[in-house]
Formats: sequence, structure tokens, C-alpha cells
Amino acid sequence: MSYDFDLVVIGSGPAGQKAAVQGAKAGKKVAIVERDKVLGGACVHRGTIPSKTLRENALRVKNMRANAALANFQLAEDTEMVTLINRLDQVLLAHDQYMRKQIDRNNITRIHGRAKFIDSHTLEIARVRDADYCIKAQNIIIATGSFPRKPDNIAVDHEYIFDSDSVLSMLYLPRSLTVLGGGVIASEYASIFQALGVKVTMIDKYPRPLGFLDQDLTDKFVHAFESMGGTWLGEHNVVSAEFDGLAGVITRCDNGLEIKSEKLLCAAGRIANVKDLAIENAGLSLSDRGLIPVDNNLRTSVANIFAAGDVIGPPSLASTSMEQGRRATCNAIGIIMGRIASTIPSGIYAIPELSAVGLTEQQARDKHGEVIVGKANFEEIARGQISDIQDGMLKLICAPDGKELLGVSIVGEGATELIHIGQMALLSQSPVDIFVESIFNFPTLAEAYRVAALSVIGQREQRGKG
Amino acid sequence: MSDQALSDAANTVAGQLQHKIDQRQLDVPMLPEVASKVVTLSQDPESDAAKLAQLIQSDQALAGHVMHIANSAAYTPNASLVSLQQAITRLGMNLISDIALAASISAKMFKAPGYESHINYIWRHALATALWGKEIARVCRRNVEATFLCGLLHSIGRPVTIQCLLELAKKNDTELTEQDMQLLEEKYHTPVGIAVAQRWQMPQIVCESIEFFHAYENANLAREQTTMINGGAAFATHLLKPEVLGAAALGELPVLADLNLYDDEIATLMDKKDDIKSTMEAMLGR
Ligand SMILES: Cc1cc2nc3c(=O)[nH]c(=O)nc-3n(C[C@H](O)[C@H](O)[C@H](O)COP(=O)(O)OP(=O)(O)OC[C@H]3O[C@@H](n4cnc5c(N)ncnc54)[C@H](O)[C@@H]3O)c2cc1C
Repeated sequence: MSYDFDLVVIGSGPAGQKAAVQGAKAGKKVAIVERDKVLGGACVHRGTIPSKTLRENALRVKNMRANAALANFQLAEDTEMVTLINRLDQVLLAHDQYMRKQIDRNNITRIHGRAKFIDSHTLEIARVRDADYCIKAQNIIIATGSFPRKPDNIAVDHEYIFDSDSVLSMLYLPRSLTVLGGGVIASEYASIFQALGVKVTMIDKYPRPLGFLDQDLTDKFVHAFESMGGTWLGEHNVVSAEFDGLAGVITRCDNGLEIKSEKLLCAAGRIANVKDLAIENAGLSLSDRGLIPVDNNLRTSVANIFAAGDVIGPPSLASTSMEQGRRATCNAIGIIMGRIASTIPSGIYAIPELSAVGLTEQQARDKHGEVIVGKANFEEIARGQISDIQDGMLKLICAPDGKELLGVSIVGEGATELIHIGQMALLSQSPVDIFVESIFNFPTLAEAYRVAALSVIGQREQRGKG
Repeated sequence: MSDQALSDAANTVAGQLQHKIDQRQLDVPMLPEVASKVVTLSQDPESDAAKLAQLIQSDQALAGHVMHIANSAAYTPNASLVSLQQAITRLGMNLISDIALAASISAKMFKAPGYESHINYIWRHALATALWGKEIARVCRRNVEATFLCGLLHSIGRPVTIQCLLELAKKNDTELTEQDMQLLEEKYHTPVGIAVAQRWQMPQIVCESIEFFHAYENANLAREQTTMINGGAAFATHLLKPEVLGAAALGELPVLADLNLYDDEIATLMDKKDDIKSTMEAMLGR
């Protein structure tokens, strides 16, 4: 069979983009198909970057409020969202141009259209301006990302009840917002809007938000959220949420509780975006969880088709998607790869930030028994005091021998950057002592590593004596 | 500079109109007090249903009209609403303010003898644009709330231009041909529209969506809004004059491609045709 391309990548999010560039760098003839007018996927246009831009301003607002003695600050009642996501256009434009250049420089064919499988090697491309046509490819990588899951009992209308794709299209900051869900996106938006002065109620069926993180961390997060004025309602089952006909939303729980708010954000997870792909034509099907199943090499059940990024499910992060995209291509074209690092950090840009790598305390106990845990509260660190970082903590989780590092968890401003120090220690399998032997700048938050490590070493010595 | 296609009389009138626009002396019809209050109320985070009901009740004709519309089949199939307050509870503040706005700013505001049915069409088209704009915004995951007002007012310059032209012609004691009127309406409705929106103190996005309606790619703050309104206007034309813009031609319009709407998405929007038609008729009080 003759092919138009050695490799066709569907989707230009972090996964697709890195997959395409890797293929081109290996000398293959590559095309990237994107249904949107712009490149970058959810990450650039509906998720990561826009929400982080809003967060930056939310932090500024929060800091100005906290420093009322320095600046007499009050956010206007009718603050428009555009003023809060002000630099977004520039950020997005720069990003789009950078990606376009990278794709053109690597001679990757850019196709604006929507791909649909005809068979395992053929894709039909629907276009908004011109007639549809087909292309044939030796290998295909599905990187079509995910979209917000829409529960049956929540009438998302993008006017009163939003999902994470549409929430930033609100014109004005609402006075109150109910957030359904306790995952990453829910926690990020709930705390960001609360920091902006919106009255936020966060509801989830689980007892704590961000249940995959260390409990110490989520306790601090909830404390910080409630100190800003937010309300966390764990173990509440939402039975319905609807526009009450009076410019507001009523959320009803099965215990009879009713919550009224001006707007609602439904962040009830994300599902694989295969809507238009007709994957069955290629011989593929979804797993029970609505994801595309792949093996360790990111290969689907059809030999020449691979998948990467949010379509294959957790951890559903831009950072991981990029690496999966790169690897999917390498595997498809026969470049031998080592194993993907098992130490993927998770970064949650809530206010405050949370980040973790390796095992949580509970996971470590389940696996290794009597582990040793060292903690450092940011209030005890000079930098934390200077910067008035409350609810900040760094936790080192070590094996029962008190030497081997198993995981690092951090909550507090700077957590997503700080985590990489711990990640490097884990990757290089350094003993916990490295944090005491090396010298950190003073005053920095990184010093917390030293304080927590000293605590571990202290406990290790106690244990040795005992 | 005179325009070759225009009669001499029209050139004179055009010069006077341009002068009025430049000097900010345009005779802009007053925004009915209720309408302006409805806009203010619907943008006031502190406002509530009681205030809106009170406001509408202060204008008896409007109150009657709103109740009539609220009780029409499009909104309340079994016509059971007895009070404004109840109507607001049932239909929502935003919808009632949309209805009140559409009812208080209406074709009847303009005095343009001989052009009543043309202005009526402009008005129906504007309302349809507003309603289609909302649906497009939903599909595109863009702001739904503001689209109604932008759509409703995108062509406000047209009736005002017609009225001004007729007044000026009368002053000059001349008559303008139908062709003159058409050409001048095309030429002046945008600057006149901007002047009206500014005089009425409409939000910035409304002013921008009027200014850039025909060249939405140049809009700045309200680019998405303006593109959606332009698309909404195309759907409105198709709804009201399918003989002018058929379904196939609509689907080929560049604006729908610029909105990145694929064929099936356009088809899904088309399915809303009957709903929009009955909502529109209801809002017009039919
Ligand atoms: C609000 C929010 C905040 C987030 N914050 C973070 C964060 O801080 N850090 C982090 O690491 N991650 C974050 N994420 C997650 C991150 O955005 C995703 O993990 C990442 O975008 C997934 O990349 P992807 O390439 O798999 O898919 P996507 O980025 O979703 O890209 C998929 C692309 O495929 C295109 N496509 C779909 N179907 C077709 C088709 N049939 N034909 C052609 N093209 C098609 C889509 O238009 C899209 O452009 C966040 C997500 C959200 C929603």
C-alpha cells in the first residue's frame, strides 16, 4: 500500500504536537490534523494557560487585600473577566506563533480539519471551508484529548451553568459560584474564584478534595480555602442543579440541602474525546471508563495506531501528555525507548499550590510498613515568615530505614517549582541525607527540604537507639 | 466629495448627515427610559426580581406587553401567569429583561413615513440575530449573556439613518429616491449606529460589535462577540428571507468557517429554527 504520510497525528495539544515534532526530527513525513483554527489544544485555549493567567491575577488581588495597609484596594463589583485574564491574548498569540514556527520548521504538514477513521490507515478530513478528502498513513497517533463530562442531572447551558471549557467566557465575576467536583480543575477554579472575592461553595461526594494526594496536604488546602471564605462540602451527593428562573442556580443534595448561587461550574471529570473519530472503523473500542486502552508502549489494540495524552486517561496532565506523545512516535517508528519515568510530578495550581511526586504517606505505609516521615511547616522557615506563607508544608516520606526517599509532597506557594528538587533526588535515588549535606540559599523555601530531612534523620537515630 | 451614484439632492443630504455625525449633533432617538433602566438593572449585580418587576410595572403598556409575551405559547404553553413577579420567577430575570428590552426599543420608536415596513423588517432581523447569536455562542462555548444585546442593537444605525435622512430631506425641501435611501443607509448606518450606542451609553462591547459588524476580524475587545453576531445575522436572514439566502448558501458563508462551524454543527443549529421563530414571534407580541 502506498501512503501519503509515514505518520499522521490527530490533535495539536501537548501530546500531538510533541508526537509530530519527534516524527519529523526522525526524518519521517508527518502531518498534524487539528479541528480548531488554532494550534495548542485544551492546554493552550481552554485549560492550563488561561486558568493560570487568571490565577496570576487572583494572587495579586489576594495579596493586595492582605496588604491593605500598603494599598487601599477593593475589586470593583462589576469587574469584567477580560481584565482579569488581561495578558492572555499576548500569551496565546506568542504560543501559537511559536508552535506554528516549530511545526513549519520541521516540515510537518498542517491540516485544519476534523479527522474520522475510514479504516486503520485511512482518515477522512472534514473541513470548514472546502470539500472533505482522505489521507492514508502508515502510522496514526490519536491525541484528541478530552472534554468535560456532563452528568445527566446537571443542565449545562453555558449561561448560568458552565463547564471548564466555558467558565472563562463569563463576562463579569459572579457574586457567588458553586463548584461541583473535588478534582484538580474544581480545586483550582474554586480557590482562584474565592481568592478573587467570589463566594464559592465546593461540593463533592468524597470526604476530601484531591483524594489522590496526601491527607496532610489536602487538609491544609481546605483550611486555606475556608480561611479565604470558601465553603467545602464533602460527602454530599448532588441530585440536581438547575437555573432557578431568577438569575441564579439551585443545587440540591440528597440530604435535602439546597445551595443557591449566581453561577455554577460543573467540573465532574473529563472523558476521552473520540466523538468524531469513528474509532470503530479502525477496529478500536473504548474501555469501560471511556478511554482508549493502550499497552506500555502506548500502542492500541491495532498495531499501527497509538494514542497519547488525555485520551488514554490519568494522569491527564499537559506535562505527561507531551512525554507520552514523544514516546508514542518513537515506538511507532521503532526508536528504542527506556521506561517512562515512574516519578511523574503532579502540580495543582490551586491557591495555595500543591504538588507531589512518588508515593503518598498512606501508599508508602501500605507498601513498606513503618515508614519515616519528616515535615517542615513554612511558618518555621525564614522565607515563609518573610513572605507570610500560611498553610505551607513540605513532607518527605522515607522507607523504614530512614534513608531511602519514597515520595515528596508539598503545599504552599512555590510548591510546583520546589517539587523538582525532590524529583531529582528520587530519580537519582539519593538518600534523604543529600538534603542536609547540600547547602541551600538563605532565605529560601527550599530550605524546608533541609528541615524535613533533619526530622527524618532525627527519627532514624531514635529508631536506631530503640 | 460627491458620490456619482447619488442624486444631487442625496449628495447634499449626505454632506449634512456627515457633518452632524462629525459634530456629534445627530438626532438620536431617546432610549426609552424603561429600556435604559432595564439595561442598567440587568447589569447590576445587586438587582433582584422585585426591582425588575417594579420597573416594568411603572410603564403600563410595557407591563401588559411583557405579560402578553410571557403568557404566549412559546414560553408558557398553558398561559397561567398572573403577575409579573410570577413571570419573572418562571422565566428568569435575564429572559424577562430581554423581552422588556425588545419590547421597549422597537420599530415604533422611529418616525419614518413610507419606511415603516422596511424598519419593521430591520427590527425583526435584529431580534432574530440576537436569538441566533445566543445559540451560536453556546455551540462555540463563548459568552451567551451579552450576545442578545449586541445582536439586538447591531443594526440600530439603520432606522436612525433613515429617520435622519428623511428629516434632512424635508428640511431641504427635496425628495430622495429609493436608490438614494438604500445607498445612504448602507453608507452611514455604521457611524450612525456607533453614535447611537455611545449616546445611549451602551457597554463597550455593544459599541464595538456595531463598529466592526461588517469587518469583525478588525474588532478588538469584542472580536468573538462580533463574529458570532455576524453569523447570527446570516442565520436570521436565512430564517426571514430564505429566498435571499438559502440553506446551502448560508453554509458556504466565510463567517461560519471563521466560527469554525463544521457541517454537522451548522445542521444542529438549523434544528433550532422553529424554536427561534416562535420565540421571536412571541417577543414581537404576535
Ligand atoms: C482548566 C484546566 C486546567 C488545567 N491545568 C493544567 C496544569 O496546570 N498543568 C497540566 O499539566 N495540565 C493541566 N490541564 C490538563 C491539560 O490541559 C491536558 O492534560 C492536556 O491539554 C492534554 O493534552 P492532549 O494533547 O492529550 O489533548 P488536548 O490538549 O485536549 O488537545 C487535543 C486536540 O485534539 C483536537 N481534536 C479533537 N478531535 C479531533 C479530530 N477528530 N480531528 C482533529 N482534531 C481533533 C482538539 O481540537 C484539541 O486541539 C488542565 C486542563 C484543564 C481543562
